[in-house]
Amino acid sequence: MEPSLLEVKDVLKSYFENGKEFKVLDLIRFELAERDFVCVVGPSGCGKSTLLRIIVGLEPPTSGQVLFEGSPIRADNPQVAMVFQSFALFPWLTVTQNVELGLEAQGIPPEGRHARARKFIDAVGLTGFENAFPRELSGGMKQRVGLARALAIEPLLLCMDEPFSSLDPLTAQNLRDEILQLWANPDLPPKAVLMVTHSIEEAVYLADRVIVLSSRPGRMVAELEIDLPRPRNRKEPEFYGWVDEIYSLIV
Amino acid sequence: MRGLRGRLRILASIAILVAIAVAVFYPQAAWNAIQLPLFAVFSTTRMVFAYLLSLVFAITYGATAATNKRAAVIMLPILDVLQSVPILGFFPAALVFFVVTFQGSPVGIELAVIFLIFTSMAWNMAFGVYESLTTIPVDLEAAAASFGLRGMLRFRLLALPAAIPKLVYNSILSWSNGWFFLVASETFTAFGGTYTRPGLGSFITNAGLAGDATGIALGIGVLAAVVLALDTIVWRPLGVWSERFRMETTGHEVPRVPSPYERFRWLPRFPRLRRTFWASAQPVVTRYRRASVRLDRTYSAHPKVLRDIRFLDLAMFAVILLLVVVAGVFGLARLFLSPLPPAAAELPRAAASSFVRLALAYAIALAWTIPLAAWIGRSPRGSRYLTPVLEVAASLPATALLPIIVGFAILVTASLGPAAEVSAVLIALFSMQWYLLFNLIAGVRAIPDDLNEAARSFGLRGRAYWRRVLLPGMVPSLLTGSITAWGAGWNALIVSEYIPFLNPPPHVSGLGYLLDIATFNKPLPDNEMILLTILTMIVIVLAMNKLLWRPLYKRASVKYRVEV
Repeated sequence: MEPSLLEVKDVLKSYFENGKEFKVLDLIRFELAERDFVCVVGPSGCGKSTLLRIIVGLEPPTSGQVLFEGSPIRADNPQVAMVFQSFALFPWLTVTQNVELGLEAQGIPPEGRHARARKFIDAVGLTGFENAFPRELSGGMKQRVGLARALAIEPLLLCMDEPFSSLDPLTAQNLRDEILQLWANPDLPPKAVLMVTHSIEEAVYLADRVIVLSSRPGRMVAELEIDLPRPRNRKEPEFYGWVDEIYSLIV
Repeated sequence: MRGLRGRLRILASIAILVAIAVAVFYPQAAWNAIQLPLFAVFSTTRMVFAYLLSLVFAITYGATAATNKRAAVIMLPILDVLQSVPILGFFPAALVFFVVTFQGSPVGIELAVIFLIFTSMAWNMAFGVYESLTTIPVDLEAAAASFGLRGMLRFRLLALPAAIPKLVYNSILSWSNGWFFLVASETFTAFGGTYTRPGLGSFITNAGLAGDATGIALGIGVLAAVVLALDTIVWRPLGVWSERFRMETTGHEVPRVPSPYERFRWLPRFPRLRRTFWASAQPVVTRYRRASVRLDRTYSAHPKVLRDIRFLDLAMFAVILLLVVVAGVFGLARLFLSPLPPAAAELPRAAASSFVRLALAYAIALAWTIPLAAWIGRSPRGSRYLTPVLEVAASLPATALLPIIVGFAILVTASLGPAAEVSAVLIALFSMQWYLLFNLIAGVRAIPDDLNEAARSFGLRGRAYWRRVLLPGMVPSLLTGSITAWGAGWNALIVSEYIPFLNPPPHVSGLGYLLDIATFNKPLPDNEMILLTILTMIVIVLAMNKLLWRPLYKRASVKYRVEV
């Protein structure tokens, strides 16, 4: 096993309202190594998005710790990039400007930024749309911009929060395959992918490992190695075996 | 092309001949024609200064309140009060301060006028900035944080663009509010004297005093032309431009929602002029960007400086908080511990009659704006022909129409007492009605086509259609319009309830009248009465906002919101 990239250590999250404690996440514990593709799957409202926000450092856990390469995670860590369900594109910036966001923050001069942005805009298949504004793009194209923006900072770890949930099924399937290709390509980032989803099928299709959460509060029910060969075929009985198993674990 | 040029030359020659004829036969009109453009420039310059002040204030205040939770605790209530205090509350304070400080010199009066316009522009803009910054979508904030946007870079790429739609929208409101106060403040009577600064407002007022009908008409015409010209070359392009900063709520295709700038649709666009302008503005923009990046580098290179700034900020906040609390407590204590002035007994009656007057004007405004908005909003033809007419009418601040309204009231009632009453209601009506009308039209347009088609396919028509589709669809925009309209109505009181330029001055009982005489009718302003009147007004306005409009708005936004 490779040395671990990310360690999630006994993360617990509660909210307090009127002096009452609402537990959202309960003792989540797992590790992620280079070359891993991990999916966190659970019913809606199980706190999986909160978990992802804690993992990338956007929210502090109530107790527990998240370590990235051995030290506590920070939100602006340039080795970790995030893709959002709502795309979170800046509506007033063009595709290129959106993709350059992280690079600009790192103080990379314009020429270097443009070159890097072009490379990743090409990689996600948006050549020709460099100067379009997000509102002029379809949902699938928007998420490609979100992806290019995340890849442009050449992260070790790519975190995705339900990235395909607001896309139509066909577009979503195309993007899934492209993510897999990017991940399999050793010349391109990222080294590892962590994705949150409510779709069991999607998790089984993509992941090496699936972490199953129960609902309210989110507890780890199981951590499963999906050993199906790639490319995976949704119509095979083994595939359905996994889907059924995870389904029964959640219900 | 040549034909066109020839025709233009002929037109120009005719114009010159007409001008010469006018100058010979009507020297007064010619003098006006020379003065008026200059006055227009003066007035517009005042407006621009006041607007720039408001812009700086709004961004600083709004951004501070949005990012500094400690400061927001005190800054928001202050802004809330300032916004709900009818702007006329500032009138006496500003006059006394500037006129006395500069001993009646023109500079002091000029500053007083600019400050008064500022007070009619700044607050809603600051609120707009605050609201925009606190409603940035969580994911966008998260993206900014996770990609490492900080300091100036975050401000330039996230905060400022996010604030632009509401800032521009409120700027347009503020700008027309500003005209109202410009006209009211260019001439005022105080401390036994009349102070005038040259401008369109004072021109109209003076023409009214002299009973010069052509002068009034000319002044109002030029004012309307200036207002519309600025709408065309400044606000319409800004409004359209600001649309691109609007947030999309979902990743799905968003159905077309009418933009609030639709009312400007009929104005000409001048594409060539605009391109030239942007091309010449480009170097400035680039330079600003470079400078801001450099500034940001300098900042992040010196964490100690940042810490010091934060400490300074905290210290200043503490000092200001202390000052405000102490001053407030002392002021109120002094006011209420000393015996109330005898005039204070009139306050309840004055408040009641002002309120009734505004309610009457509001009712009249509703009675004609609802049917008209329902028609214009659904009929493309009505919208094409009527919107320009209404726009021109709405471009005129009620204060500019004052001479006409008063004259009309005297003509109708034939005696000064009832005339004052009629003109007070009419001025309130003119201040309130446009906010209702344009908001309602936008509301009708926002009713989705699906809903209208469903109604038609189920045979809903006539009263049932009004009751089930049209009126419910109008409710949210009716409330928005009402809040703004009532604000404008309270503002109109000071000019509507007491008209100092006529002799004897017509007046009606009301808060505006009390404030006027407390300020102007004595050699020195009666501070106690001014404070008491403003306090009364603040209490009424805040009570209406908190107890009536906000609860209604909350309920309406749950029940009548059209899901898209």
